Amino acid sequence: MAALIHRPEYAGYDFGPEHPFTPARLAMVLDLIQSLGHTLSPIAAPAATREEILTVHDEAYVAMVEALDRGEARPEAERFGLGTPDNPVFPGMDLAARWLVGGALHGARLLMAGTETRVLQLGGGLHHAQKDRAAGFCMYNDLAVAIQACVAHGWRVAYLDIDLHHGDGVQNLFYGDDRVLTVSLHETGHYLYPGTGHIQELGTGPARGLSVNVPLEPFTESESYLEAFDAVVPRALEWFAPQVLVVQAGADAHFTDPMGDLALTTQAFQGLYRRILDLAATHTQGRVLLTLGGGYEPQVVARVWTILYLTLMDLPIPERLPQAWLERWRDRLGPEPGSTLHDPVPAYPELPGREERNRRNRDIVARLQDSLFRYWL
Amino acid sequence: MLVKEMMRRPVTVVSVEATIGEAYQLLLDRGFRHLPVVDHGRLVGVLTDRDLRLATSSFSEKPHVATDPVSAVMSSPPLTADPLDPVEDAARIMREHKIGCLPVVDGQELVGILTGMDLLDALMTLTGVTKPSSRLEVALADRPGELARLTAFLAERHVNIHSILTYPSPEAVRTVLRVDSNQIRPLADELRRAEFDVLWPLPKPWQH
Repeated sequence: MAALIHRPEYAGYDFGPEHPFTPARLAMVLDLIQSLGHTLSPIAAPAATREEILTVHDEAYVAMVEALDRGEARPEAERFGLGTPDNPVFPGMDLAARWLVGGALHGARLLMAGTETRVLQLGGGLHHAQKDRAAGFCMYNDLAVAIQACVAHGWRVAYLDIDLHHGDGVQNLFYGDDRVLTVSLHETGHYLYPGTGHIQELGTGPARGLSVNVPLEPFTESESYLEAFDAVVPRALEWFAPQVLVVQAGADAHFTDPMGDLALTTQAFQGLYRRILDLAATHTQGRVLLTLGGGYEPQVVARVWTILYLTLMDLPIPERLPQAWLERWRDRLGPEPGSTLHDPVPAYPELPGREERNRRNRDIVARLQDSLFRYWL
Repeated sequence: MLVKEMMRRPVTVVSVEATIGEAYQLLLDRGFRHLPVVDHGRLVGVLTDRDLRLATSSFSEKPHVATDPVSAVMSSPPLTADPLDPVEDAARIMREHKIGCLPVVDGQELVGILTGMDLLDALMTLTGVTKPSSRLEVALADRPGELARLTAFLAERHVNIHSILTYPSPEAVRTVLRVDSNQIRPLADELRRAEFDVLWPLPKPWQH
């Protein structure tokens, strides 16, 4: 069983109708879970305070968010990553982002108090937000604030990022911190935003070896992804021995996602969620905090995150999508939504070049292991 | 991008009267590989860690010893750059002569040093990889106005460009941009609809 954190205010983190990071995705997940007959009783967490935001962000940056929020014209906004196509300014954005941070932080506190062991925040996962700038749809770094709170509690924190994109914000914020291990699997930065997450980024100073990146080839499929995951993540956690696992569970590594080129299926995501729970059971006494993240094909992220919810709740995964849900969201589902919760098997025609891609992924993992093992031994 | 933007200063130098033992210690302590050699403030040569290692190697016919003067093993006269030289010209000189640094001289004064590492910094800055960004690669026809058409397209969508590199290929001018946007695939789709030849990102095999 998992505690669920959500409140209607999360829908206020909205960059407008043209923007891919739309809160409609959340509404579709909530509706799908309920349409499958499950009653949701989420915890409504308080918004993070300004002081809590400042545990990871610069004051000048927060002041800029607040000024733009008030409608002040600030020509230097773009230097803070704000007012760009990725991070447009909207009224109420400071509080909207603080609700999301507050949720992750509250989740961390439930774990620290020992009230819960599994916590899922249905929202957030703003892993690109940097100390001094917004980036890639992310304003305040909810994950980093939650991690920082766990560190202040005296815990060693393992952060795992399965979003399509490199978790650069979280990595950078803890790059020299020997109490935080960050592990990110993503499409290689040679081709995809934000352009980082290479195997040579290993952390610095006392945290050398605590920044782990698994950059994968475009069109990497489920089998190769899971092989890389199994080769790196369990060993990293075993070595680091964290007290808590924090997971950014973006769903944009799915093969239909309009933003990137990884090719996971819903079955692979379920396999990942099972692995995460197993790893938490083995290494952190079950303690795990998960947030959502990227994922831009609404009908797919609704299915993937519903599978996440059901897995965390130890509930069976039904085969079919409820007809009522399909009808309610027809406008957002696209021409061929299918009728099952999981992808059909096979989900797509065979992709040429699979052997070469898998070989390159195995090479990358081997090179990563070569550089890490000297720190891990 | 000019040499003066990428060079290092102030420069650590060694006197032409110093011994190679002293120069060795200086290179070791400071983590350098290149030392400009000066005679009363005037640049007269460059001493590299390679010069020292070769000159003192036991494989050498007559190995130098620590008390020998720097002037015995330095390269002289040194090749130099001017602070107002474009970095690409400095790079070409270093590449053609296969050397690792250029002391930067303004008139008679040694004002900085440019090393291979500084050129790598320049490459990273020029390619825009030091900021969060996406890579877009477009093949443009080799005729006036094509690059303008591409940048105007991005400007209309308010997409900030961190860097543009172009290089010739037999069929087209390959143009690599780093842009400040996570939404690179939708952008590529739009570019294709506007009949740009987008080399990356590629359309997905199941995309029609």
